[in-house]
Amino acid sequence: MKALTANRLADGEVVFWSHGRWVERFGQAELFEDDAPAGEAEAKAKSQPTVVVEPYLIEVAPIEDGVAPVAYRERLRALGPTNTPDHGKQAEGGHDVELIAKAAGAARSGGRVNLIKR
Amino acid sequence: MYRYDALDKEFLADRVSEFRHQVTRRLAGEITEDQFKPLRLMNGLYLQLHAYMLRIAIPYGTLNPAQLRKLAEVARTYDKGYGHFTTRTNLQFHWIKLRDAPDILASLAEVDLHAIQTSGNCIRNTTADPYAGATAEELDDPRVWAEVIRQWSTLHPEFSFLPRKFKIAVTASVKDRTAARTHDIGLALRRGRDGALGFEVMVGGGLGRSPHIGSTIREHLPAGRLLSYLQAILRVYNRHGRRDNKFKARVKILVASLGAEEFGRQVEAEWAQIDPASADLPDTELARIRGFFAPAGFEVLPAVSAKLEAAKAADPALARFLRNNVHPHKASGYAIVDIALKTPGETPGDATAEQMETVADLAERYSQGEARVTHEQNLVLPHVRLDDLPAVHEALKAVGLASANANLISDIIACPGLDYCALANARAIPIAQHIAQRFADQDVAEDIGELKIKISGCINACGHHHVGHIGILGVDKKGEEFYQLTLGGSGAEDAEVGKILGPAIHASRVTDAIDDLVAVYLRERQPGERFLDTYRRTGIAPFKEAVYAEVH
Repeated sequence: MKALTANRLADGEVVFWSHGRWVERFGQAELFEDDAPAGEAEAKAKSQPTVVVEPYLIEVAPIEDGVAPVAYRERLRALGPTNTPDHGKQAEGGHDVELIAKAAGAARSGGRVNLIKR
Repeated sequence: MYRYDALDKEFLADRVSEFRHQVTRRLAGEITEDQFKPLRLMNGLYLQLHAYMLRIAIPYGTLNPAQLRKLAEVARTYDKGYGHFTTRTNLQFHWIKLRDAPDILASLAEVDLHAIQTSGNCIRNTTADPYAGATAEELDDPRVWAEVIRQWSTLHPEFSFLPRKFKIAVTASVKDRTAARTHDIGLALRRGRDGALGFEVMVGGGLGRSPHIGSTIREHLPAGRLLSYLQAILRVYNRHGRRDNKFKARVKILVASLGAEEFGRQVEAEWAQIDPASADLPDTELARIRGFFAPAGFEVLPAVSAKLEAAKAADPALARFLRNNVHPHKASGYAIVDIALKTPGETPGDATAEQMETVADLAERYSQGEARVTHEQNLVLPHVRLDDLPAVHEALKAVGLASANANLISDIIACPGLDYCALANARAIPIAQHIAQRFADQDVAEDIGELKIKISGCINACGHHHVGHIGILGVDKKGEEFYQLTLGGSGAEDAEVGKILGPAIHASRVTDAIDDLVAVYLRERQPGERFLDTYRRTGIAPFKEAVYAEVH
């Protein structure tokens, strides 16, 4: 399973693709079971250079009661820095934040599709 | 400190206006991200995990109260109320919006601050001894020379597109507080046999994925010939540096591959071609710059302050602060005060807007209008009267800055790591917090004594892990955060790259491993030995055994 993410150009905010628009919370992100629609969404995102910077697909996996990004790096992006729980998306709380915070394993490299550019 | 003249201010205003135009064009889609990225980087603006990061240059780590207050204002207005001091003595804001960046730079320019030389393959912000102008150890004020280098190197057309970034440090004391030998060029002011002032020139130091300690290519360069000699070094580097391979592009690789002797020979040959009259700074200009750093007028005061002695006897916390954070000053009756941004449990190097304002007030009232930033992510009040130390301590305590742990085990360098940085493999801050909390008992920390722990979240080594007495490097091992420990490094005058202790260990084991290493030191140490001294005497074996005992 995959999701599409980027940083918003104007303010750098972490955003996720959801059916043609960008949302700020991972819990609202569109999840792609198949590669083809994920690739189509990525192509659309790349055609929005004044909205986002460097959109890319991430691996997402089921966890208890939901889904979370596989890579620890991506979970950090979806939550905020661990040294300041009152900063970033985690500050707002919510079910999706609690779920992602519970997920474990995988540091930086795992879970980002096409991380190594050839 | 150096003050910008009308020309400098006009230049900064033009630069901000240029960047404002570039940001507008990027937001409007008139230029692509690929075109814009180098432009924003040249203005210190990086895109990190959660937001943009703006890195502001603090030349040779010197700040005046107006600048500190401005940084506090930017922190409150445009960030989340704090800033992060770095190992290059710069300040980073981690929650910046691109659309605000031009306004922030305009605001900073009001107090002669900017983000030039904080990114790109140019000569970066030059660092100097944070005790400059205050310590009796120094031969000259290194900031004079750092400012000379700053003016010479800023946007130098020949050296704006070097093979890779280039860092210079200047020290004038035997005790090196700048990590000079880990710089592309380290400059140490020395007296020649004839008493003349000159520089020992060290080249090819650097950390990152291939750590090197700089080699001395000239024992004594006449001080007045500094710029032409730097030009010669940069020319040899610019000519032969490995532009084909980013990982081999730093001057340290060139020096290592040619050999320091051959590199030095080429520099001397290049130097001989340069006309001193056109390349070196005229004495009149040097005198003008020196004038900005004229020694502050110190009162004639007794070496012992009765007021301070009485306060010290009544307040054990003040006594501890004096023991660990207060250092001798060249003027009788004065002291140098380290403000450790290392309260156990807090993020190393972070300061809130309120803390910055308090330090600004203290600098203004008690330290002749000066504060400094150290490469160990701390602040310094360089000129405090002994009589004023109790008041300074109280004021620091009120904002959580009186941590009496300078140079102790909890005075840890940590890069922002994976919590913020797009390059990191693992987190550095939580590791530092956890270790500092484990050793928060100040009696224990003082018993352990000087112990420099340095943590980097990736091999780029912004946290200087290679030169930590204990270095900690975050690695991504099969998707988990693991940490490789190194021992015996030093960034000081006895610079050395640490040795890898053994296989990387899981994040959850790091603090216990530090505990094990400290226990070996406490067991093995001889009177007067620091951790580093004991390690150098015993070698790595007992430490290795302690950490990996369970594994074997």
